[in-house]
Amino acid sequence: METVLDEDIVLKAEGLSFQYQDSSEGISGLYFSVRKGEIILLTGNSGCGKTTLLKCLNGLIPEITEGKISGNLSIDGKNYTSMKMHTLNEHIGSVFQNPRSQFFTDNTTAELVFPMENYGFDKGTMEQRLEELKKEFHIGNLMDRNLFSLSSGERQMIALASSVTMHQKLLLFDEPSANLDYGNAIRLGNIIKKMRDNGYTIIVADHRFYYLNGMIDRVLFMDKGKLTVFDSEESFKSGNYDTRSFDLFSIDIPFEVKVLRNEEIAVMENVSYKSILHDINLNLYKGEVTVIVGNNGVGKTTLAKLFCRSVKPDKGLVKTKDLPFFVMQDPDYQLFGTSVENELALVKDNEERINEYIDFLELKPYRHKHPFDLSGGQKQRLQIAMAMLCDRPLIIFDEPTSGLDVYSMKKVSERIKKLKVSSGVLVISHDYEFIRHVANRVVYLKDGTVEKDFILDSGTLSVLNQIFISMQEEIINEKTED
Amino acid sequence: MKHLKINPIVLIIINIIAPSMYIFISGRYLMFFLLSFSTVLMLLMGRYKGTLIMLSVFFAMLGIHYITLYAEVFESLGLFFIVLVQCVPCIALAVTLVKNYNSAQLLSALESMRIPRVLVVAVTITVKYIPTFKREFGYIKESMRLRGIEFTWKKPFRSFKYFIVPQLFRCSALAEEVTAAGLVKGINVPKKRTSFFEERFHWYDGLILCLFVTGLVGGFVWKQF
Repeated sequence: METVLDEDIVLKAEGLSFQYQDSSEGISGLYFSVRKGEIILLTGNSGCGKTTLLKCLNGLIPEITEGKISGNLSIDGKNYTSMKMHTLNEHIGSVFQNPRSQFFTDNTTAELVFPMENYGFDKGTMEQRLEELKKEFHIGNLMDRNLFSLSSGERQMIALASSVTMHQKLLLFDEPSANLDYGNAIRLGNIIKKMRDNGYTIIVADHRFYYLNGMIDRVLFMDKGKLTVFDSEESFKSGNYDTRSFDLFSIDIPFEVKVLRNEEIAVMENVSYKSILHDINLNLYKGEVTVIVGNNGVGKTTLAKLFCRSVKPDKGLVKTKDLPFFVMQDPDYQLFGTSVENELALVKDNEERINEYIDFLELKPYRHKHPFDLSGGQKQRLQIAMAMLCDRPLIIFDEPTSGLDVYSMKKVSERIKKLKVSSGVLVISHDYEFIRHVANRVVYLKDGTVEKDFILDSGTLSVLNQIFISMQEEIINEKTED
Repeated sequence: MKHLKINPIVLIIINIIAPSMYIFISGRYLMFFLLSFSTVLMLLMGRYKGTLIMLSVFFAMLGIHYITLYAEVFESLGLFFIVLVQCVPCIALAVTLVKNYNSAQLLSALESMRIPRVLVVAVTITVKYIPTFKREFGYIKESMRLRGIEFTWKKPFRSFKYFIVPQLFRCSALAEEVTAAGLVKGINVPKKRTSFFEERFHWYDGLILCLFVTGLVGGFVWKQF
């Protein structure tokens, strides 16, 4: 048995429990330790307690979240209760899921120096540390830029650099892959590995972990607030848990049945828009799920906006039978009703069908709840119910499975398949597993044009795999060119 | 030509003092003084487009005000416009403040004025989130169009509700996220905060303030006669 020296342990939890004040959720009786230089995967299904545990580790619980905490947590042998949050965060860096949560300022340089200003560093020290960060993360070309003008990969680098400004050596990542395309996720995996080699200890909480394949030291698997510790990546892989896949290209899922294309619902003819899209030709059909793939920034959302007439093409023709129904990634912008029932009635006031879809999408217990009081998954189900009810010929989904665990992803796939009975479906997605579950057809956008457009079946699977590999290479080469 | 980098404190002071001066100084004098003063400052800072927009809005509104003077039924509308016209130079300077300085610079400038940190953080977050609100309003408007829920003046309250309710819920989520981002980066460290962007108070900053005060004094003198 491996001997664990006390001085190797950077983080230790003994009987850690937390119960939220206003819900029955929480974590209970967690025992684990994290050794210096480890990469730990923290995973489990939605609502299992991952985020609660991360918040306990970075001190946001109990600082801003009300509830009852018990048990012991210690970092470098010092008990959390003896430390203020600002002392704790000199040791722990946090990388949140989206830029809104991550950044306090709107400028890259300002964001990097922000913690140092708060801790009272003099200007000379700040300048010196800034130079170190620029070298370590290759972000010299990103200084003094507006954070919202950066690409998702660039933002991730600034998020990483800003989380270690205070020389933190323990890093917490909360679902870092949720907003990244395949190439950027693989690149993040490489960066995490390099950081481990440079002495960082890293805890990654995520549903998807293919980008960490072969580099995880231990797995903390959470289920309904309880923890199971796997001492190696291999032991976790050989467990019986149905999780997202480590090796995407090896998954075995039956292909969708070929669709008879007898009703065309939307057309793009020689469409160009600014410098983003050039000469796009695309025909969409009822009964078909078409998935648009391509790296971030390639014009996938612009293509959807053209179908929705949110933007007008500079050249070419866009024809749709009716306005499409667009299911946004963030449901909060799409909900206007006072209850689940009222929200659906705003789409179509048909009680019988509303009841049918409420039942189908398991929304019955929440039918009188305000849409904003629903969880993320429930809101998405409500959006799908709206899409089913609207009777529009084309339904568009923007990244419907980012941040979803395997069960939720499979359920979303089933619901989308149900939609194609009466409509055509266009999905923007980076999620390989989801694409394999749901796609009839794949359209690959590259350099603003349709590079590939094919029916997904056993004969074309290798084309899809090759697309994902080339998207990864594109990102890696981009970085090398910098 | 090199653009002038005015210390943000100067712009903050002007923006605090200027609107309240309408109580003491002739409105007509102050309105044109502030317009000239803002125009010069913005041109020196290189905000040519902003200056043009400010002047266009100012004179368009003033024109509407004068037209309404000839029709009694529109008199109240005319009064409304003259009040708005008086705010235009100050709003233009506030926009300049938000656009030309990042939130860390504003944070440092406000802190150096010995304003309590709680207030400073609140103001900085508000300023920072103006573009976010604008973006999110755009999403909501677009989403309403796609849902077929039109904004209509026939039902202003209901239409307004569709706009504002999602935004309010977003605000509460954003507040939590920003608090978390600030806390994990030491916003609550009980130490005197330093500034990477702290800007020197140049001779021309002093000159600008002197000219501003002289202009206001001129207004008092004008009122006497």
